[in-house]
Amino acid sequence: MFPAPVLDVIMEEEILYSETFRIHGNDFEHGGEVAAAVKSVMKQLGIRSDVIRRLSIANFECEMNVIMYADEAEFEFSVLPSQVRVVCKDRGQGIPDIGLAMQEGWSTATQQMRERGFGAGLGLPNIKRNSDKFEIESTPSVGTTLRYSVNLE
Amino acid sequence: MANAPHTVTGIPTQCIGCVACSKACPVKALRVRGGVVQCDSDLCIDCGACIYVCANGARRARTTPASDLSKYKHTVAMPSMTLYGQFGKDVTPAQVLHALTQVGFDQAFDFSYVCDMVTAATEAYLSECRGPWPKISITCPAVVRLIQIRYPDLVPNLVPIEIPRELGARIMRKKVSVELGLKPEEIGIFFITPCSAIMRSINDPVGQEASYIDGAFSILELYGPLLKALKSTAHDVTYEEGISPSGLAWAMAGGETRAMRNSNTLVVKGTHDVTRVFDRIESGKFQTVDYLEAYICPDGCVSGQLVAEGRYAAQRNLLHISKRLRRQPHLNEEKVRSLLRERFFDLEGQIKAREVRPLARDLRQAIALKREKAKILERLPGKNCAACGAPTCDTLAEDVVRGEAHIEDCVFIKIELLQQRIEAGKGGTP
Repeated sequence: MFPAPVLDVIMEEEILYSETFRIHGNDFEHGGEVAAAVKSVMKQLGIRSDVIRRLSIANFECEMNVIMYADEAEFEFSVLPSQVRVVCKDRGQGIPDIGLAMQEGWSTATQQMRERGFGAGLGLPNIKRNSDKFEIESTPSVGTTLRYSVNLE
Repeated sequence: MANAPHTVTGIPTQCIGCVACSKACPVKALRVRGGVVQCDSDLCIDCGACIYVCANGARRARTTPASDLSKYKHTVAMPSMTLYGQFGKDVTPAQVLHALTQVGFDQAFDFSYVCDMVTAATEAYLSECRGPWPKISITCPAVVRLIQIRYPDLVPNLVPIEIPRELGARIMRKKVSVELGLKPEEIGIFFITPCSAIMRSINDPVGQEASYIDGAFSILELYGPLLKALKSTAHDVTYEEGISPSGLAWAMAGGETRAMRNSNTLVVKGTHDVTRVFDRIESGKFQTVDYLEAYICPDGCVSGQLVAEGRYAAQRNLLHISKRLRRQPHLNEEKVRSLLRERFFDLEGQIKAREVRPLARDLRQAIALKREKAKILERLPGKNCAACGAPTCDTLAEDVVRGEAHIEDCVFIKIELLQQRIEAGKGGTP
């Protein structure tokens, strides 16, 4: 039996469609535009609306994280036969304690604040909640890479 | 029921094939092909934006034929609040209601008080409901249809409380039926509408099986007869108890939220701003706002396409009339809350998202078409001149991959091809 990472590589699905966007830190003027552009592509491709909704929520959080905390990022959106996937690789301060970042929102915000999209810290729990697969890697003062996907079926 | 519910129609003989309507359409349903405008009836939300911009009278709204009045034993006119602002600042709502009984209706019913009930019910709903935020008003039927088609994700944001017009008709039918001993179906309730979108929602409502209203006439078509009736009877009728100044304000954008205690609200008007704000809500903005009042028309109902008085004068008139009405009828809020619990205000049906046409049903095919579209878009000049008949280069590219247009429909490409042909011709014949 192959170890898990190798298996992943072997079983990598064919990429049917892919588009890369650049996000700049502190660019609040265009905040949300990448998420909106990806949403428009998914609509044209006839992807199911609940899939579009979940990925779009995650994309918005991810995009705003870059704008608020990183210098810049490459945001790659792909459509595979069984999933829609995002890999967002940023250059920036990184996250020293991922465990804490994943927790933050849960501990400090009230339920109501969270419903309104506030106080979820980096919004990472929100991305995780809205995706079927979620991976994060971060090196302090280098950057963070997020990989998340939503299944099509 | 392919074309039946639509109220906005084209008059091909009047159409000169300009692209004003195609550019104004918020759902991109209009194309100019073969010199006249064509409408995609799956997309049209009957907002009337095309009527507003057409300089040639080629876009019109269909209302109920007057002969429908004779189908009923008793007819009731229910005027939009907008009607009260159409006859100058000194004509009172009571006079307008009386005038309606002089032009063919047996009775006229003011439902400004029902507007107040709905405001109170909406506030109670907002204080108890959980997200998604912001909640969006369903008062403007064109906005509701726009959301169904272009913003399916915002459907859960719509407030599921019945609008005053429908509640008013429901109350009125019961009342008249008891008072006159008539069967409900023997009573004809007709709305006096400022716009084509309300007309559509009476023919083909969203969120309920059938409207409680039997038909509608436009303010514009009743304006002349009403003016005459007002001249002969204006002095007999004075201010009436029960007409609510805050209810009258519903004719103007912002009127609905102005009467609320909750001030965490937004008012958005006009197709351009409405689509911009909805785009932003879809990307997660405005979540701190409780309630959003949105209108397709630039100033709310006073700026509908089927009104006679200009929207600025009409607002002045309404404000003046409201001030003179002074007394706000008392509203029993406890009663409204208990009615809300009894589901009196509930929308009967659900408002559902309507699927937007993808490029193709099959994912791989849709992707292939999306790539083709990107290639075509690269060739197009990006001027969005609409000379091809589609409102933007992006829409032309999409029409081409759907097989509904040709890339040579673009005048710039056509010139380019002609030049190439001329060049080739020169080279070919020495």
